Amino acid sequence: MRYILLTLFMIPLSFAQINLSQEEKEQEIIDYSNIKNVLKNDGLADKPSQAKKIVKEIKEKRKEVNLKRFQYPDKDDFWFLSSQYYLVKKAQELRWEFPKPEYGIGVAFKQLLEKFGYYNKTFDVMIVNTPNVAHFGLPGGKDHYFFILSLPFMRSLDLTKVDIALLLLEDFFRVEAGYFEKNLKLDLSFIGTNFYEKKIDPKLMENILSAYDKVIMKTGFNFQQQYELTKKMDAQLKSEPELWSVYFKLYGKLERFMKSDLLYKNYLKIYPSPELQINWLSPKKSVI
Amino acid sequence: MKYSCLIFLILNGTAFAESRLYFNQFLGHVHKNASNDSSSLTIVQCSHSVSILKSKNSSPGWYYVQVGEDKGYIQKEYLSEKRPECLQGKYPKYYLELGLDISDMYYWGKLNDHFIHGVTKIK
Repeated sequence: MRYILLTLFMIPLSFAQINLSQEEKEQEIIDYSNIKNVLKNDGLADKPSQAKKIVKEIKEKRKEVNLKRFQYPDKDDFWFLSSQYYLVKKAQELRWEFPKPEYGIGVAFKQLLEKFGYYNKTFDVMIVNTPNVAHFGLPGGKDHYFFILSLPFMRSLDLTKVDIALLLLEDFFRVEAGYFEKNLKLDLSFIGTNFYEKKIDPKLMENILSAYDKVIMKTGFNFQQQYELTKKMDAQLKSEPELWSVYFKLYGKLERFMKSDLLYKNYLKIYPSPELQINWLSPKKSVI
Repeated sequence: MKYSCLIFLILNGTAFAESRLYFNQFLGHVHKNASNDSSSLTIVQCSHSVSILKSKNSSPGWYYVQVGEDKGYIQKEYLSEKRPECLQGKYPKYYLELGLDISDMYYWGKLNDHFIHGVTKIK
């Protein structure tokens, strides 16, 4: 009987002992210092911090990529896009979509540029079927130029390929001198900046378009710019007397034509003035 | 019989895909014929991948291509082997600001068809 009682008393005790040892075991397993040591020994201790670092880097990269999406074009891309944008928006008015024969203008102008040492220049000439713009040069970014050239203007004046190439050379020098950009009178400080979390001016494109239109159709270039341009052409062409002579005669033709043809009365506002340009080109008479 | 019919169709067909190239201009057109003045079948954007087809009537300076359902011509110089860097991708938000509608895209694509293009030599 005594043994039975002892056994009954011992059974719960033995269970309690098992439970305790199990807890102790668990305590041992959960012991953080133990895990730390194991991870340290296995070289895994740095993994969580590395993962955090990678996540941070990914987040930064993603933010950087997202920021770039809100970038205004840099200077070259801005002029390349804006000048083409103008031609696109004014397509119906300028009437440039019509079949054109091969005029040989591209070759003549290319040769003229190369003759004067203007290498690695890209140009695109758009022939328009309107007298509203006679000829005009637009910036297209680094070493890239766009030109508008009127077919009725060429025909009315019966211009040769050399005449046209010389007018394009004038327009090329105007773009090079930055006259057009200056005359636009636009605040272009946004070029190359970022507009992330900023409001973009809803009238930005409209303003660019109207500024282009104003200079091309109405205001053009001032007397000072025309004087500088004429002197530049004079200096450049002096080394090629034949070309200089063609240029001088061209201005005589232009001056007579502009006085007689009302269709081109606006020309004198854009390019003042052929009469003065002839004077600036004419050799000074020396008084003995 | 089935296979011989298929081979016959391929050989007798006017075109089959040769390779894929990328359009490298801002916007452009797939032309009905190998001429800048020919009508437009569809507009293609920079970086658009096109299938080059072999045509019986090959035209120098032009590729016969397939874009979507349309088969037509694109000038060779406007296609490149590598995917080009495009202004649409470089300035996506600014590009949206241009607010180009379908008519603008048509005209933008037509610019290159009408430009007299020139590059002076590199000294």
